[in-house]
Amino acid sequence: MDMKRDYYEDIRLFKSNVVIFWTVVLLIALFTAPLYIDSYNVYLLNIIMVHVILAVGLNILVGSTGQISLGHAGFFAIGAYGTALLMMKFQIPFVFAILIAAFIAAFFGFILGLPALRLEGPYLAIASLGFGLTIMHIIGGMDVFGGRMGVRAPPLDLGIQQLGLTWILKTDVQKYYLILILTILLVVGARNILKTRVGRSFVAIRDSDIAAEVIGVNLTIYKTLAFAVSAFYAGVAGGLFGFVLGFFDPFTFNLILSIMFLVMVVVGGLGAIQGGIMGAALITYLQYDLFKNIAEVPYLGAFLVAVSKQWFTLVGLENFNAMAIGLIMIGIIIFEPLGMFGVWIRLKKYWMTWPF
Amino acid sequence: MKLRKKVLFSSVAVLALLALAITAFAAAPIGFDDKEIRIGQWGPQTGPAAAWGNVARGSKLLFDVVNEEGGIHGRKIKYFIRDDMYNPAQTVAVVKELVERQGVFAFVGGVGAACGMAVKNYLAANKIIWVGPSAAYNDFVFPVNPYLFAVYPLYKDEASILTKYIVEKLKTKKIGMLYQNDGYGKDGLSGVKERLATYKMSLVAEIPVEPTEKDLASQILKLKNSGAETVVMYVNPTAAVISLRTSATIGFKPQWVSSNTLSDYGLMYKITGGLWEGVITGAFAEIVDSKHPLMVKYREAAKRLTPEERWGVFYYAGILFADPLVEALRRVGRNLSTEATLKALNSIKDYQSIGPKITWTEKIHQGTDSVQIHKCGPGASSIMLQDWTANDLATWKK
Repeated sequence: MDMKRDYYEDIRLFKSNVVIFWTVVLLIALFTAPLYIDSYNVYLLNIIMVHVILAVGLNILVGSTGQISLGHAGFFAIGAYGTALLMMKFQIPFVFAILIAAFIAAFFGFILGLPALRLEGPYLAIASLGFGLTIMHIIGGMDVFGGRMGVRAPPLDLGIQQLGLTWILKTDVQKYYLILILTILLVVGARNILKTRVGRSFVAIRDSDIAAEVIGVNLTIYKTLAFAVSAFYAGVAGGLFGFVLGFFDPFTFNLILSIMFLVMVVVGGLGAIQGGIMGAALITYLQYDLFKNIAEVPYLGAFLVAVSKQWFTLVGLENFNAMAIGLIMIGIIIFEPLGMFGVWIRLKKYWMTWPF
Repeated sequence: MKLRKKVLFSSVAVLALLALAITAFAAAPIGFDDKEIRIGQWGPQTGPAAAWGNVARGSKLLFDVVNEEGGIHGRKIKYFIRDDMYNPAQTVAVVKELVERQGVFAFVGGVGAACGMAVKNYLAANKIIWVGPSAAYNDFVFPVNPYLFAVYPLYKDEASILTKYIVEKLKTKKIGMLYQNDGYGKDGLSGVKERLATYKMSLVAEIPVEPTEKDLASQILKLKNSGAETVVMYVNPTAAVISLRTSATIGFKPQWVSSNTLSDYGLMYKITGGLWEGVITGAFAEIVDSKHPLMVKYREAAKRLTPEERWGVFYYAGILFADPLVEALRRVGRNLSTEATLKALNSIKDYQSIGPKITWTEKIHQGTDSVQIHKCGPGASSIMLQDWTANDLATWKK
């Protein structure tokens, strides 16, 4: 049912009218969402979309190229600090500031990509982990970056001050539209990367780097490129994150955050754009919303409170958050290695062949 | 056939979406009704700063006691604790959720300067009162934020009071300083220097420490070589433990004096392996086994209601930070409103529970400049050296 007859069919953005229809429905829903959801949910959606951008980028690296990174909080931090400081210290307009910051992140991604030429698996994980922690401490140790007391993001001005144009986005809803548009652009961009020569080289490296080299894929270029592209996405996400939050300090970008990013990609589905989107949405929703209010969920909440009183430490139900994320992660790896994307594929097949 | 199936599926999906959208409609409720007043607090119950999670649980004890006694003018307090894992992004999320979904009237406590800064403007914009952040941070109170009321004494004031004690009571001539290289440590440093200037003295050594440094041998050696008899430290618990252990190894035995952030003797004694004995610290609340009637009352309540909780200084700090709000709500009476509560808070003068006297006015929301001075005795016991003392050099009061 998913047969392709030629190359152009493979790289088409929409495979059928049904897909176009649903995409339009989804876009309408997303663009009208602020009309009927409350401001808290708009904030949640903003965070989710920031995480989507990051997860889609991370998935290019982890899922498609097969290189692990535990240092993405570092790129995220570079994006956030870079954008805010470029705007504050050099009065660079937002659009350019976030782009420059993302390119700085990409440059660091390229640097981190160099050891990746020699390192694999756990060793690469250690190297990237070291990178993430180093960035956090360097930023924290220098007064230029606001030190440990953090930085307050400047007003999000879309205009160009030098030309006398100002268009300041103040509310969460206004930021929502900015982030939404960027998210759509970047997700489509990621798809385009993966469907072209570059993307196919990434996948070849993932499947076997020796074989890839033999058929003419330049490992040096494409491995570092994968890191750079992924870091670019993280940089843009970080730049937006700073404005969603309004204030951030170096320890916001800690190791736990890097691990959560990886969890999003693994739970969503490695190597699939939809995987990154679904994983980011699910994990963010669970972490920021459902698990915080789990005690108020009917029946389950009461049950968990009882369990926590009996066996958990003093902290109580909050322990559940980390446990549940861990269990989800283990469960996904054992039962559904393709992640939520795998579930989605099976659901789709089921519906297409229904009632058989 | 296939088309019909798809239409069916699509309509089900659209209906489901609509249903979801409708449930999301609930309007933000105001913070109280005839039966309850909703109060929230964020605090790291898990994650890197989980050790400070007991502040939020301490406030719970106070509200439980208030509710047992019948509440405030017929209204019970409904209290929400939310874990933010010391991550400002999550602080914003939990605070928005509490304000917009649960309809919270006020916040108390709240660990973490960055976490607080991330929500400060949001709370003010939504006219939500915030009493007693568990951090001394100048940006919280200067310039004055009409909705934010601080209880915690400023580090600079504390350092100044401690230095006065060192010079006048300990009669030390050579004072060294070990300070964390951030706002907290530098505030302490400026307080010490300001006080020493009045005696025409200066520090024999001022040594910065990065918060993450794990080897302090060179810093301690510098202090030793400077001949410091008393060392003031404004550092985090880890750095304090490393400093004391390193000093013990090289045979450097000064009188250590530290800020109230290290005044949890039970904890510090344990993690230094007993080296904490003899250390003098500032304190923002009464000593652990105080005979103060309110301390006795809360200690008994804690034994009864949360027997598994350790009665440590940060646990009852949760009571201290939340208490002025309860007092203000009592003064407001049955006709509750945010404006009335703000008025009551602004009129609080020399109000004292288990901490220093608190005074707030329209113009100044930093409640106090006073600390006690305690000393860690044998077996992690607490000895009071000096009762509540104000900083006569504090400039912000004028």
